[in-house]
Amino acid sequence: MSYDVSESELLASGHVACPGCGAPMAVRYALKALGENTVLIVVASCWSIIAGPFPYTAAQVPLLHTLFATGGSVASGVKAGLEARGLQDTTVLTLAGDGGTFDIGIQALSAAVERNEDFIYMCYDNEAYMNTGIQRSSATPWGAWTTTTPVKHPKDQPKKDMVAIMAAHRIPYTATATIAYPEDLIRKVQKAKSIRGSKFLHVLAPCPSGWKSEPSQSVLLSRLAVESCIFPLYEVEHGEEYRITVWPKARVPVQKYLRLQGRFAHLRDEDIGRIQENVDDEWQKLVTRSDRAKAPGNVDQAF
Amino acid sequence: MTYQISFRNEGEMPDLPVSSGTTLYNTTGTWRYVRPVYRNKTSPCNVACPAGEDIAQYLGLVAKGKYQEARLRILEENPFPGVCGRVCPHPCESECNRAELGGSISIHMVERFLADLAGGAPVQRLPSNAPAGATVAIVGSGPAGLSCAYQLARRGYPVTVFEAWDDLGGTMRLGIPAYRLPRHVLDAEIAAIARLGVEMCTGRRLGDNLSTADLRAFSAVFLAVGQQKSRALEVAGEDAQGVVAGLDFLRRVNLGMPVEVGARVAVVGGGNTAMDAARAALRLGAQTVTVLYRRSRYEMPAIAEEVQEAQDEGICFEFLTTPVRVLTEDGAIRGLQCVRMQLGAPDGTGRRRPEPLAGSEYTLNVDVLIPALGQEADLAFLEHWAGGGLAQTLSMANGLLETDAAAQSSQTGIFVGGDSATGFGTVAHAVGSGKRAALAIDRYLHGEDLNGFPALDQHVHAAPRDLDPAVVRFADLNLAYFEELPRPEPKQRPAIERKRDFAEVTDGLDEQQVQQEAHRCFSCGTCNGCDTCWLYCPDVSISRVDHSDYQVNYDYCKGCGICAQECPRRAIVMEEELKWKK
Repeated sequence: MSYDVSESELLASGHVACPGCGAPMAVRYALKALGENTVLIVVASCWSIIAGPFPYTAAQVPLLHTLFATGGSVASGVKAGLEARGLQDTTVLTLAGDGGTFDIGIQALSAAVERNEDFIYMCYDNEAYMNTGIQRSSATPWGAWTTTTPVKHPKDQPKKDMVAIMAAHRIPYTATATIAYPEDLIRKVQKAKSIRGSKFLHVLAPCPSGWKSEPSQSVLLSRLAVESCIFPLYEVEHGEEYRITVWPKARVPVQKYLRLQGRFAHLRDEDIGRIQENVDDEWQKLVTRSDRAKAPGNVDQAF
Repeated sequence: MTYQISFRNEGEMPDLPVSSGTTLYNTTGTWRYVRPVYRNKTSPCNVACPAGEDIAQYLGLVAKGKYQEARLRILEENPFPGVCGRVCPHPCESECNRAELGGSISIHMVERFLADLAGGAPVQRLPSNAPAGATVAIVGSGPAGLSCAYQLARRGYPVTVFEAWDDLGGTMRLGIPAYRLPRHVLDAEIAAIARLGVEMCTGRRLGDNLSTADLRAFSAVFLAVGQQKSRALEVAGEDAQGVVAGLDFLRRVNLGMPVEVGARVAVVGGGNTAMDAARAALRLGAQTVTVLYRRSRYEMPAIAEEVQEAQDEGICFEFLTTPVRVLTEDGAIRGLQCVRMQLGAPDGTGRRRPEPLAGSEYTLNVDVLIPALGQEADLAFLEHWAGGGLAQTLSMANGLLETDAAAQSSQTGIFVGGDSATGFGTVAHAVGSGKRAALAIDRYLHGEDLNGFPALDQHVHAAPRDLDPAVVRFADLNLAYFEELPRPEPKQRPAIERKRDFAEVTDGLDEQQVQQEAHRCFSCGTCNGCDTCWLYCPDVSISRVDHSDYQVNYDYCKGCGICAQECPRRAIVMEEELKWKK
C-alpha cells in the first residue's frame, strides 16, 4: 500500500451524492481519521441528502441531522451531553456546507468557537448553495456563474476569507484541506482531534453539477486549486502561527483551473488576469506570514 | 442479502426517527452509463524489446522484492538475461517514458542483476505437448538457435543443435569480447539450456560435415547460421599480411588463439564490431589504436556507451576519413593511404552520404589493419542444398534468407531466423527470432496453420499477458503522481586499469539501486497496486483483492470516472454501459 491511510471504512456505498462529488470523499477521509468513536452533526446541506433517507444512513457512526443555522450550537450541546454521560473521548464533528458556514451558520459558529467549545467544525466548501439549485453564497468566488449570478452579472464580490475569520477568534486550530490530498486532510483531522477546544477545517470539495465540470475531474480540479495557489493548503494555530502544509510542486496558472469549469466559461482573459494577480498577492501574503521552518516537506522551493 | 427495511404498521416504527439500516439498500450502480474496467495496456519498453520480454511486469515484481519470480518471468521469453543485461543496446530504454523525468529506467541493469542472482531456480519446463516422434534440428548455436532450442526443449521436443565451431554460443562467444560479456555468464546460460536435454553437436558445418540429407531425418529444421562474412574494404592491397577482417580478428581473440597486433592498429568502421576490435587490440598490447570512420560521430551505428568507453580507454577516433589504398612492403602492410570526407545529401538510410574531399589524401603508419565494415550471411552452403535430397534451394532476399512472419523459409518445414534471415544484428533480436521459429515449429508439427504471427519487426511472446495493445506514452500518464528522480549510473573500472585485461568493464547495480530503479518505473499501463483508485472512489465501491488487484462493485459504482482519470498509469478504461448490457 502506497498511501498512509487507514483501511477502515465508516462511509457506506449507496449514498446519494452525485457522481464525482467531493463531499462524500471529504467525509470518508475524516471518518478514517476519527474512527468509530465519533458523532456527526449535519446541518442542512448537500450532506442532509447524501446521508440517505430515514430509515437508512450512509455514515457508520451516529449522525444527527439538524437545522441550517445551528452547526455551532448543536455541536456544543451534543458535546456537553456526551460529557455529562462521561463520554469525554467521543469526537463531535459538525459537517456543514459553505452556505451553512459562511452565511447562515456563522453566528452560531462564531459564538461556539468564541466559547472554545470542544468540537471540530468541518466546512465542505463547494462554493454555492448546490443542493437547492446553485445559488451564490459568500463562498462563491469572484467572477463565478451561479443561478443567482447569471453570466450577464457574474458574482462581483470576492470569496469571504473564512479561515481568517476563524483565526481571528484565536481558536487553537484552523486549517484548509481538499480531497486531492487525503493524507494531508487526514493528518489535519487527526491533529484537530488531538487538540481540546474549537477546531475549524475548511475543505474545498468540487461539485461537478454546480461547477459545470466533468465528474471525473473532481480530484484533478482539487489538485489544480492547490497547485495554482487558488486554494493553498495551510494550518493556523492559535490564530497566529501560519504554516503551509503542501507546497505546490510547480505553480500552475489559475487559467488551467478555471478553464476546466463551465461556471467560469464566460470569463475574459483580462478577468482571468485579474484573478491571477489577486491569487499571486494572497499567496505572497500567506508565504510571508507562514513559518517556513516548521513546514513539512518541500520548504526549500523557490516561492 | 437485502438491506431493505419496511415498517408494516406504525407500531414497528421507532419513536424517534432513528435510522437502523445502511444506504447499501440503494444500488446507485443503476445511475451509471459508463463503467470503469481494469485493463492493462502495453508499455513502450515492452513494445521495444526485440526479445519480447515483459519488462513492465518484471520491474513490478522487482519492486515487490520478488526477484526469483521476476527472473523466471524473463526466462519465459529469453534464456539469456545475463547476456542481454550486458550487451543489448537496450532499445527498451530509448522508448522508456521515464526519460522525460530524470532519465530512462536502467532496465538492462535490473535484468543483469536478476540474471546474476545466486541460487536462481532452474529454468522451468512446460507441460510436454510434443507430438510423438517429432524431432527438430537446429543449425547454429548462436542466440537465435539456442533460443529456439530452449523454447522447444521446454515444451518436450527432442532438439539437436549443430554448431560449425568447437564452442557454443555463436556471435555471443566468437564476436563479443569477455570484457563486455564474461565467459562464465555465457557458459552458465548455455549450460542451463543444455540441461533441458538439448543435444549439442559441435564441429558440424553445414555443407561440409553436415549434409542436407542429415537434416532430412528431422521433422523440422531451423537454420540460424548468422552472419560471419566480413564485408571487404575494396581497396588495393587489402590482402596484404597484417590486414585481418574484424570478425576473424575477434574470433581469434575470443577463442584464445595467438594474435599479433603490432604497435599501431587501425580499425575501419563505426559499428560495434569496430569498437570491439579496437578495444580488444588495445588490451592485447597495441600502443595506438585508431578508429577510422567515414562519417561523423553522430552517424556512428555503435552503441554510444561503447564509443565513450573506447574513447576513455585512449582509442583515437578519426572521423570523416576513409582508406583508399593499403601501402605494402614485401607483401606486408606498412601504412594506409586515406582521404578526408565531407557529408553530402542524406542517403537511403537517412544519414548524410560521405563524399571524398579532392586533394586531401594523407598517409597513416599502420602495423595491423582491421576492417570492420559490417558483415553478411555466409550462405555458400546453399549451393549444395538442392542436391541433398531437397527439391529446390531456399530463396534469398537482399542477401538474407527469405522468411515469412512465421519464420518459414521458401520450403515447408524449414524455418530460418537470426541474422541470416532478419539481419537485425543484436542478441535480443536473435532471441526473439529463435522464439518465433520455436512457436511456429510447435504449431507446424501439430499440423496447425501458421497464420497470425506478428510482423517480423514486432516481437513475439512465449507467455503473453492479457494486454490491451494500446501503448501508454508519456502524455498519457498522470504526472501528478511522479517526481523527477535521477537514473543511477553503474560504476566502471578506471580506464587505465581495465584496458590492460579482459575482465568486465562495468559493474552491476547493487540491490538498493535496483530497488530504486524498480520504484522509479512508472509501470506504464500495468496496474501495480498503488491504491490510487481505491483511495479516491467517492462511492467506496473499489475494494482490494490480495493487495494488488482491485474489484469494482458495480452495484454502487456511479461511473464518475475519477479512478480512470486519476490512475497514474492509465490501467483503467471507461466503457459504455450499453456494451455490457448486450
